[in-house]
Amino acid sequence: MPGFDFSNYNRNAALHAQGMPLPKATSTGTTIVGCIFDGGVVIAADTRATSGPIVADKNCEKLHYIAPQIWCAGAGTAADTEFTTALISSQLELHAMSTGRKPRVVTCMTMLKQHLFRYQGHIGAYLVVAGVDPTGTHLFTVHAHGSTDKLPYVTMGSGSLAAMSVFESKWKAELTQEEAVELASQAILAGIWNDLGSGSNVDVAVITPEKTTLKRNLIKPNEKVPKQQSYKFARGTTAVLNEKIIKKSEIGRYVSVQEVPLESDKMEVDS
Amino acid sequence: MSLRIVPENSQATSFSHANRTTSAPSAPGVHDTLRHGVAQSPFDAAAGKPSSAHPLEARLKSWEATQESLRMETLRRTYGIAEPVRRGMELKIVRDGEWRPLALGGGLPSVHEDILKGREDMISWEDVFTGDEMRGVPGVHDEMERKLKMQ
Repeated sequence: MPGFDFSNYNRNAALHAQGMPLPKATSTGTTIVGCIFDGGVVIAADTRATSGPIVADKNCEKLHYIAPQIWCAGAGTAADTEFTTALISSQLELHAMSTGRKPRVVTCMTMLKQHLFRYQGHIGAYLVVAGVDPTGTHLFTVHAHGSTDKLPYVTMGSGSLAAMSVFESKWKAELTQEEAVELASQAILAGIWNDLGSGSNVDVAVITPEKTTLKRNLIKPNEKVPKQQSYKFARGTTAVLNEKIIKKSEIGRYVSVQEVPLESDKMEVDS
Repeated sequence: MSLRIVPENSQATSFSHANRTTSAPSAPGVHDTLRHGVAQSPFDAAAGKPSSAHPLEARLKSWEATQESLRMETLRRTYGIAEPVRRGMELKIVRDGEWRPLALGGGLPSVHEDILKGREDMISWEDVFTGDEMRGVPGVHDEMERKLKMQ
């Protein structure tokens, strides 16, 4: 079977039937948001990667490149979001070269949902797709089972409720770019503070018809403060009881020294 | 003839190694690990037999066939039976003309087949992760014996 490997499934089912407990499902945590403004779209994400109760990476990148003007924020299984976006990115590039046009955001969204629907949610990728193409500005969410939404502002991940509350109270139609960046950052900050699965910094990507600007670590609310006390011993703390200096010219007195000719008997290496 | 988009739920409720083709001729029903390794036999993989009773595997295996039959049914309703028959014949000619020994890495469709199916501009992970890594490589003689039904 290409792609997924099912060869261990029957063995695992047989082991489970004999009383082996099933592996526990892992809950994943992320806050990702997207918001349309006048003349473009902005997406933002937190930067915490968790592995169960452990913070695996304090500054990971959840904004994925798909095409120059199409970017994607991913929640769910990190490897699945990473791989799925990379796969769709390459397919979209091939498609763009085949048709000779700039890739459309709807094409990307359709490819993603068809791919994810095929795997029935076994690929745990929950995505926010945003982009600007010749047909306009677009913002979508794609769930792991293949359902999609098209909304002016979206949130995803475990911190989506906290982030959505910010959007619901502060969003207005016809935002400027600065206002949209500020609003998206505030929404992510709400996720960082109120959701345990989200944390660290705020990443923002601003997509306009001209260019995409990735603002990595735009806000760093969780800088590690320097330790209040230093436990390093000051120089001279340990008393010197005995001192003996051996010069290089006199080293022959202590060890046997053999001179090696410089350019001969070189070790063969592949260059 | 239906216009089914998604394969129907067709996974096996039971799974048995007894009907595999990986047993030694002298001991039918027993998986021959020396000859075929621990993974699924490449002959079974080439024949499209599932390696498990997982519902997703059955779905993925029949995915392309379902999509293809939907396309052909749509063509039949639009242009008449001649169109899907012509395409089917073209595909069969191309498939029959393109035989590659499994020892050289079979499984992937040829360029001609890809063009006829309209997926020559696509590359999916099935094209990269073929699943051959864990499988034993059959000898050419073994394959020919099977192909010519000498075994």
